[in-house]
Amino acid sequence: MEAKPLTEPVLLILTSLANQPRHGYALLKDIEGLSGGRVRMSTGTLFGALRRLLEDGWIEPFEQMDTSRQKQAYRLTTVGRRQLQMELDRMRQLTRAGFARLRASEV
Amino acid sequence: MKRTYRFMLLLYPRGHRDRFAEEMAGVFEEARNERHYQGWVWYVRFTFSEIAGLIGGAASAWVDRRPVPEAPVASTSQQSLPQEIVEAQEQVDRNIAGMVHAISHHDYQGARRYSDEERRARDVLQLVRQKYGITG
Repeated sequence: MEAKPLTEPVLLILTSLANQPRHGYALLKDIEGLSGGRVRMSTGTLFGALRRLLEDGWIEPFEQMDTSRQKQAYRLTTVGRRQLQMELDRMRQLTRAGFARLRASEV
Repeated sequence: MKRTYRFMLLLYPRGHRDRFAEEMAGVFEEARNERHYQGWVWYVRFTFSEIAGLIGGAASAWVDRRPVPEAPVASTSQQSLPQEIVEAQEQVDRNIAGMVHAISHHDYQGARRYSDEERRARDVLQLVRQKYGITG
């Protein structure tokens, strides 16, 4: 059975957490940078996606010494990392196919 | 603005508010401060985006009937927990490990089965935690 493609907020959150744990505001800033300023996620969208990712076990809270209720950090779980890898592989295949067709149509 | 934001958080179901409201308000404050210094055009766009995001997010939260994930318990060690909770947690962990194994072997049906089991185990864990008065 094929896994469903990830939504853009979910993909961006997983990508942002791929190299280190981040809290909510750091995620917003990093996602803005990752998307070249195109995506400015609202807090409602961010926490809706975070909730679903927590429910699915793709991310987990990451406890830091200075963590307050307002500064909860999150990190990828093994399942989340695997899902991100699968999605990136899927996108890579699609990108290759797309470029191949573009090149073929230019000849 | 901060008060309006907190008021709008009342649109969310109770469970979501208990778990995320403080965190959302904190992130909103940081983002608002930054936009404030970028000029009124950015600020107005930011405000509309936040309002739309809250309405959409609240609607999704009401539709999503799964239990809200618990916040981490900061000072409770595994050793001090009742055996019933430890066993329920181990059941959750076993299902997660099974799911990871299934995914890594491209057994997606198996992974979905473990995922369903894991959700059920998590519900049991939540009930057991409530029984012992341990909340997120």
